[in-house]
Amino acid sequence: MRRPGFLPAAALFLLTCVLVLYRIIWLGYPVFPVSEGQSWQLLVNVYITPKEEQSGLSLALPSEQTGYMVVEERVLSGMYAFYIHTQGSNRFGVWSGAGVDRPEEITYRATIHSRPRRGVPIQSPLLSPFPTAMSREEQSLAQAAAMKWQASAPMVRFRAVVAALKGNWGDSPPGDDRSRRWRVVQQKYDRTDAALALFRASSLPARAAEGLRLAEEVQTLPTKWIEVWVDRSWVHLNPETWEVYPSSAALLPLAVGGFPAVRATGGELSDIRWTLNRQVLSQWKLFYEQITRSAHFLDRWSLLQLPQEFQGTFRILLLVPIGALIISILRNVVGFPTFGIFMPMLIALAFRSTGTVYGVAIFCGVLLVGYAARSFLDKLHLLLVPRLSVILTLVIACFTLLALVGNKLGLRELMAVGLIPFVILTMTIERFFILIEESGIWEAFRAAIGSVAVAVIAYGLISWETLQFAFFVYPELILTVAALQILLGRYTGYRLSELYRFRFLKGSS
Amino acid sequence: MILDGFRRLRKSGVLGMNFRNAGYIMAYNARSAYPLVDDKVQTKRLAEKFGIPIPELYYVVENHGSIAKLPGVLEPLGEFVVKPARGSGGSGIILIKGRTEDGFVTQSGKTMSKEDFNYHIASILSGIFSLEGGEDTAIIEALIHPDAVFKDVTYREGVPDVRIIVYKGVPVMAMVRLPTEASDGKANLHRGAIGAGIDLSSGITLAAVHKSRIVKTHPDTGNPVNGIQLPHWDKLLMTASEAMDMTGLGYLGADFVLDRERGPVLLELNARPGLAIQMANQSGLRIRLDETDSAPPAVFSSPASRVAWARDHFTGPDSSTLISSGG
Repeated sequence: MRRPGFLPAAALFLLTCVLVLYRIIWLGYPVFPVSEGQSWQLLVNVYITPKEEQSGLSLALPSEQTGYMVVEERVLSGMYAFYIHTQGSNRFGVWSGAGVDRPEEITYRATIHSRPRRGVPIQSPLLSPFPTAMSREEQSLAQAAAMKWQASAPMVRFRAVVAALKGNWGDSPPGDDRSRRWRVVQQKYDRTDAALALFRASSLPARAAEGLRLAEEVQTLPTKWIEVWVDRSWVHLNPETWEVYPSSAALLPLAVGGFPAVRATGGELSDIRWTLNRQVLSQWKLFYEQITRSAHFLDRWSLLQLPQEFQGTFRILLLVPIGALIISILRNVVGFPTFGIFMPMLIALAFRSTGTVYGVAIFCGVLLVGYAARSFLDKLHLLLVPRLSVILTLVIACFTLLALVGNKLGLRELMAVGLIPFVILTMTIERFFILIEESGIWEAFRAAIGSVAVAVIAYGLISWETLQFAFFVYPELILTVAALQILLGRYTGYRLSELYRFRFLKGSS
Repeated sequence: MILDGFRRLRKSGVLGMNFRNAGYIMAYNARSAYPLVDDKVQTKRLAEKFGIPIPELYYVVENHGSIAKLPGVLEPLGEFVVKPARGSGGSGIILIKGRTEDGFVTQSGKTMSKEDFNYHIASILSGIFSLEGGEDTAIIEALIHPDAVFKDVTYREGVPDVRIIVYKGVPVMAMVRLPTEASDGKANLHRGAIGAGIDLSSGITLAAVHKSRIVKTHPDTGNPVNGIQLPHWDKLLMTASEAMDMTGLGYLGADFVLDRERGPVLLELNARPGLAIQMANQSGLRIRLDETDSAPPAVFSSPASRVAWARDHFTGPDSSTLISSGG
């Protein structure tokens, strides 16, 4: 009985081996698709409305020195002339033009390769001067205020300044009112300038920086922070909260030293957006160049040849068969009860935008609300199709409400609720109700818990980047998944759940 | 530990879900034969052709338009049953045993208005009770008066039914499903009905299973469920055996009701019979299926020879030892 499934499975497995070996041996693909660092696609869209004869724009561009490598850049300038202006470690894209009389869109596109722990300057930077607006007297007050910790180690000084900025000055010697007078001065300046002055007075090199949060999102305002040189590296300080950013890798600096990240002259910025997207891992990005030029058949037909925006989809799609395999195992070998066969997989895909915690909470919440509504509808004696339509409407209403609440609370996870497959959720509510009616609450809850558990497991699997990557570069691996699915289809042994089900059977316990 | 558990199940001959699906249902049941058993109207027509007794079919409501014709059809009927043609697990079935001025009286004594009755028919037609959720038809058929043999072990007006598993035309295992209060009077194990295994050679009930536990007595009436001799036992087995010739299904479950006057009446056939029957009988199906596979070819020549062979070979163990071994 095992024979008929074994042959095709073995053939599929062999085919996978041949293709993978061909890529590794003849095309020189790396064996283990591991990566260091990450690659990001940055897209800046600026809409400028000219107001004067001469108009232009200065936009800070990512530069190489800060531990980020800029791999490729593309600029669309409209009617403006464009050049790059380097200022210290900063690079500014400058667009300028005369007689531009209608709004223009300027776009800048770059691929940024981040390499943590590299590109950090070894020698200590120089102390920057006090903010220019500060008078000599005010400067000496700052120095007097910092006198207390002046002799300490850099890290201790840094902590003392941060504590002072938070308003915690510790005990000051009686009669010394200079530090109190500094505190009055401090109120005069904006938070960043006051902090920079205090760091200068404490002999710690510091600078203001503007940049972006490294996250897959659209930002309309640059993030501002203060970089302080402590113990041979830059520490990033949030001027709003005086908290230290836990990892410098979460920020992409654009302009350091107090320069604005974007400035328009002779015109008005009607809109500006920075969009960041993660890309296929870096090592492969470099590899990509080689593949695009290659004449080999498998190279020309590689998924790496797809335009960026479609690659992300396939990184996930190629893992869906594994998810289905997991579901088959959980159902046929373990005996997990689930609602439908592919429902957990679709829920798992939705978890990608909502995250598991919110995803599970939303799923359970909507299921329970749906169940309550379905019980009420039962009394109305509605026919099947209209009844399902009512539940569908309820599901959409719940989604809308959750998205609005999410917007108020600033929770993107709730706003992403629309990506949960609503049709599946509607059918699940109906089946949940029928199951409770026919087989009791216990059976229905078992199926609900089983479905959620399977969805969480499948989600964990499809979010595993190394696996995503392996399948993306070697898509033929899904043939092996198919082979395993065939073999599993021929599994005729007992299910784990049957150990429990038949526990009272004579001779089996 | 897990493998040990599997080995013990294998040793006691338990048939698991995967092996049932791959080894028997897929191997012996042609897809083309499924409609014959999934649609009760087709099963009835087929049974009539083969002379197998069934509850008399009064009318089939094919579409919403024919609901209007119902009053005329139901006029001469004092009592009848409404059921979905593609229903499963006993859902959507209503037993009507009388009528009032503006409606009907159901088995449980409740009155049902004409509007509610028509709504129920419309629900059946829209496929609420159908397995696949597609369009369905509603059957109006004769009400069964169950034989008094199970009266002491049945909850009130419930109708017990007899399930026989037939493999290659050989009856291999049987049980009787007894309605309880928990099962709402329905003979459905999932809902809490109890299933009593039947010794195939004698037709006498063995211990019973209730919610996967072994019980000696009926939970509502307190009467013992074992040791009851089923009437018409040979006829039940013969009819079940003929179901294979009728449908061509090599592995099926035949459900019967014992009518007070007519004896065994075929209710429905099932191409994917469940596995709980093994617990009701305290023995595994695999052993009996394997034994059937190794029976001499002559056995399979006629229903009579298949039944005779089965009664010879599938003698249940003594019921008293069974009960003590459970739990």
